[in-house]
Amino acid sequence: MIRSALAPQRRAIALGTLLATSWQAGEAAVPFLIGVIIDRAVAGGVGDLALWLGVLGAVYLGLSYSFRYAARSSERASEQAAHDLRMRVTQRVLHDRGGAETDRLPGALVSVATGDAARVGAVAVAVIFGIAAVGAVLVGAVLLLSVSLPLGLLVLLGTPPLMVLTRLIGKPLEARSETEQEHAAQASGVAADLVAGLRVVKGLRAEQAAVARYRERSRSALAATVHAARAESAYQSLVLSLSGLFLAVIAVTGGLLAVRGDLTVGQLISSVGLAQFLVGPMSTFGWVGADLAQGRASARRIAAVLAAPEAVPGGEAVPVIPASGALRVRVSTLDLTVAPGEMLGVVTTDPALAMELVRLLGRSHDPAEGEVTLDGVALSSLAPADLRSVLLATDHHTDLFDGTLRGAISLAGRASAEVVDAAMIAADADEVARSLPDSTFEARTLSGGQRQRVALARSLAAEPAVLVVHDPTTAVDAVTEARIAGRLRGMRAGRTTVLVTTSPALLAVADRVVLVDDGAVCASGTHLELVTRDETYRGTVLA
Amino acid sequence: MTVALALLVAGTVAGLVTPPLLGRIVDLASSGASTGAIVLIGAGLVAGALGEAILAGWGVALLAQGAESMLASLRERFVDSALRLPLEQVERAGAGDLTSRVTNDVAAIAEAARSALPEFSRAMLTIGLTLAGMAVLDWRFLIAALIAVPVQVYTVRWYARRAGPLYASQRVAVAAQQHHLLATIDGARTIRAFRIADEHRARVAAKSQEAVDLLLRGVALQTRFYARLHVAEFAGLTAVLSTGFFLVRADAVSIGTATAAALYFHGLFNPINVALALVDDAQVAASGLNRLVGVADLADSAAAPQAISAGAPQTGPAAAPQTGPAAASSGGPSAEPSGGPSAGPPGEGAAGPSVVPASSSGGGATAIPQPLPAASPAVRVSGLGFSYREDRPVLSDIDLTIAPGERVAVVGSTGAGKTTLAKLIAGVHQPTAGSVHVPAGEVVLITQEVHVFAGPLADDLRLARPAATDDEVRAALTAVDALTWVDQLPEGMSTEVGSGGHTVTAAQAQQLAFARLILADPPVAILDEATAEAGSAGARLLERVAATALSGRTAVIVAHRLTQAATADRIVVLDAGRIVEQGTHQELTARPGPYATLWQVWSDQRPQP
Repeated sequence: MIRSALAPQRRAIALGTLLATSWQAGEAAVPFLIGVIIDRAVAGGVGDLALWLGVLGAVYLGLSYSFRYAARSSERASEQAAHDLRMRVTQRVLHDRGGAETDRLPGALVSVATGDAARVGAVAVAVIFGIAAVGAVLVGAVLLLSVSLPLGLLVLLGTPPLMVLTRLIGKPLEARSETEQEHAAQASGVAADLVAGLRVVKGLRAEQAAVARYRERSRSALAATVHAARAESAYQSLVLSLSGLFLAVIAVTGGLLAVRGDLTVGQLISSVGLAQFLVGPMSTFGWVGADLAQGRASARRIAAVLAAPEAVPGGEAVPVIPASGALRVRVSTLDLTVAPGEMLGVVTTDPALAMELVRLLGRSHDPAEGEVTLDGVALSSLAPADLRSVLLATDHHTDLFDGTLRGAISLAGRASAEVVDAAMIAADADEVARSLPDSTFEARTLSGGQRQRVALARSLAAEPAVLVVHDPTTAVDAVTEARIAGRLRGMRAGRTTVLVTTSPALLAVADRVVLVDDGAVCASGTHLELVTRDETYRGTVLA
Repeated sequence: MTVALALLVAGTVAGLVTPPLLGRIVDLASSGASTGAIVLIGAGLVAGALGEAILAGWGVALLAQGAESMLASLRERFVDSALRLPLEQVERAGAGDLTSRVTNDVAAIAEAARSALPEFSRAMLTIGLTLAGMAVLDWRFLIAALIAVPVQVYTVRWYARRAGPLYASQRVAVAAQQHHLLATIDGARTIRAFRIADEHRARVAAKSQEAVDLLLRGVALQTRFYARLHVAEFAGLTAVLSTGFFLVRADAVSIGTATAAALYFHGLFNPINVALALVDDAQVAASGLNRLVGVADLADSAAAPQAISAGAPQTGPAAAPQTGPAAASSGGPSAEPSGGPSAGPPGEGAAGPSVVPASSSGGGATAIPQPLPAASPAVRVSGLGFSYREDRPVLSDIDLTIAPGERVAVVGSTGAGKTTLAKLIAGVHQPTAGSVHVPAGEVVLITQEVHVFAGPLADDLRLARPAATDDEVRAALTAVDALTWVDQLPEGMSTEVGSGGHTVTAAQAQQLAFARLILADPPVAILDEATAEAGSAGARLLERVAATALSGRTAVIVAHRLTQAATADRIVVLDAGRIVEQGTHQELTARPGPYATLWQVWSDQRPQP
């Protein structure tokens, strides 16, 4: 997962690693040079001092520029990888076959697409600076070897076990950080959900209860964080102790060598300085380990979203185009047929069944048993995107997206201006357009009736061969609804339209109406016929 | 916190024994001391390292704990404030903006508090104590080290000037990214149905890329910042080394002391970089904090006028019963003696009818307690006006008095202002002219918007009455005919519902809304097309449920389903933001008028055989 996310950033990571290593080499040279300067200057004169200070200046110049471009490369790799992951998550959520939203709050998905993506991206930085730290240790060792063979060997042989040890100790941190992040995501999911239901909370005056609920989650997130923070500081302490021990061993060994005359004072200073410098890269392994742990935890959450089972797996066929628009639904006890070009009203006594029917027709999910066919072909054998290009099924709750009204209705310019005009008139959305000061809108500021009319206009403007709408005018007054019903027929002439509704105004314009009660079709006829002869129908529709 | 700081100081001091001990080894080596002496110093080094690790680690843990608790309180306070914001304000800014604040900004501050605060404290301590240590070695080393300071001061100021605006625009870009991401993920089903995934992906991609670009600009700025710090490092190091050189030559200090000074200064690089770089985190956190505090302030200032304009005479701030920490802390305007027009919402003073004498309790005279006679109205609306934009009034000159227990239906075509009127009476929106008076206790508004809160179903209902027992919750579900289907859910009342959980139908969601109403048990209830979402089949059920839920309450029912209007005690017809007709169903159908027309169309669609 992490590998595939970072693979496209290979070049930036390679460049970053190279420069970061060169920066670390420079940093390693500084304590070495301090020793050299003391050695040479004490023995020589002001001229030597000036010369070596000049060398130090050159090293600084190199390390400064290396760091500058190393940081830029690594951050670019990190941000770009996060961006790519964000887009992959978005793409997965929007995928034709759905399934990513199952069991996940939208707020939690947003947190995966932002926070988790960023943490995986940050692995690039960790890798670059981790490798550079290894490089620093190597350069330090080489410099040490040039000063003294035993000291150099000590560092070279001592560092790897130390690194393995820190890595092992860091392992349990991973689990902690995972629970911590989960709690944080949950808390922010609850906050986002409360904000989404703000109108309801306000209407109920339930602000206090809502806050109490958030507080509960926030407190459990806090407990997890404190736990993780403790574990992390214990871990950092251990790393610090280990590197301190290491430094002491080197200093003592160096001191003993100097006493024996194997080292000059300057060389001793160099080695001690180098050993002290090495604490830096080694503690880098600490945070690199922690970042890798976090990145892995985040990568798992992203992978879970990306690998979420499809809601409608299978089916690659393309429907016959132009579709004639014959539908048949045979699901458990329900057997429903729609003729090509028919405008069919479907009345269900059970609202849940109406919702289910619309979702089955739009292939949001497939029936557990039975099948739905379009022109004789099972929907489950059709590719969802191709199916939806001929069959548009809209839920009762459809989302509008901010933008211009015409942009929303024309689906970003897919429908021609004439079609948009006709659709707006048919759905009485032209009145909405007149009420907007400039033609842009934010979906939330529209009233319920306005929203429904814009949504209906959008469905009509898509001009699908088969259109399935679910209670499209529940928030519209009787006069307007009657006007919309009258125009609907003209707009859909010759094309199959399924109106899943109990609105008498819409049912009155349907060619035929079927009544579904107890999961099965129990009556069929025109609205008028059913009104006169069916008691259940009257009870359901004329309430 | 004090303990944490003490531990940090002790830990840092323990860490700072290292350079002098190393210097001591250098001196011992050049004077040819015994192995034992050097090993002894080595033991000292180990003790110092362990002391630093344990003490400082402990201190950091304590500090993080304190910071996390503060942070938790802050984000809770923020959510508290956000939920109290006037609705129109939230809608104007976009819910995504608020969500971004609730999630991203909180996370940014969390990050700062979690890592930056302990690191910063340690770095500052290390810097201070190291400088002290250098002064102890020889005061001239301190002077040499301070050469770097002017460069550092300049660098930080240079950086802060540029970073502030950049971070501000970064946060805006991230918020926009969040807004689009949330809208896209929330609307995934619609996007799939209309096959507009490509457009939405492109939108998200553009916003995300914009945020990335700004972040990278920030990084470029940071690296230039570090380049300047490198100059300071080099200057300081050169000065300290030269000082050591001349002092050793003059025999003023030993070579070990010069070494210790050089090592001290070299040891300063990291803490200085950390401390100065945290200016960075501080900037991010500050701009996030600004956005959070901004919300809290808005909520504070909004809570105050609400208490005045919608408060009933005998109860004071009836419309703002929850004076949480946010509202209580402001005190200011709500404590003013008599409210008066100036304390009310803008424009109130200009509206004639609202400035009625005290007897009609207009204007917002909260301070004069007035016992209302027994037959006093339950709701009194006078001279009410409202507009989102000044040139487009949504409502004007609404006068309406509702008796206790009366059921008033508000009808009219879409866009007539019915919903706005409902929100104003409920106190969700604030009037731009005139006033609304409701009695002691609370008004509950149920809208056509069906949101089921994520979590167990019983928890959703308990939002209305947190202390409700299981029996009370069951009773409410029974009253709204919902118990049967709730019991059939996989885990009954404990079933997870809402987004991410079990999906309930619109009608079921609205049944839950009525169950919340019953649990909240307010004297006045306002239904804003609360039965609309369910379609006619569900509506019939919901109308029955509504009748049960409303029994014993004063009710305002916004309805286009005229069956509800026909059974109301009184019908008020709105058109273009004004009341054009009112009376009983019999009165209004008996004479030609807007209601008679509406009724005609309605009953034509529903021929009764």
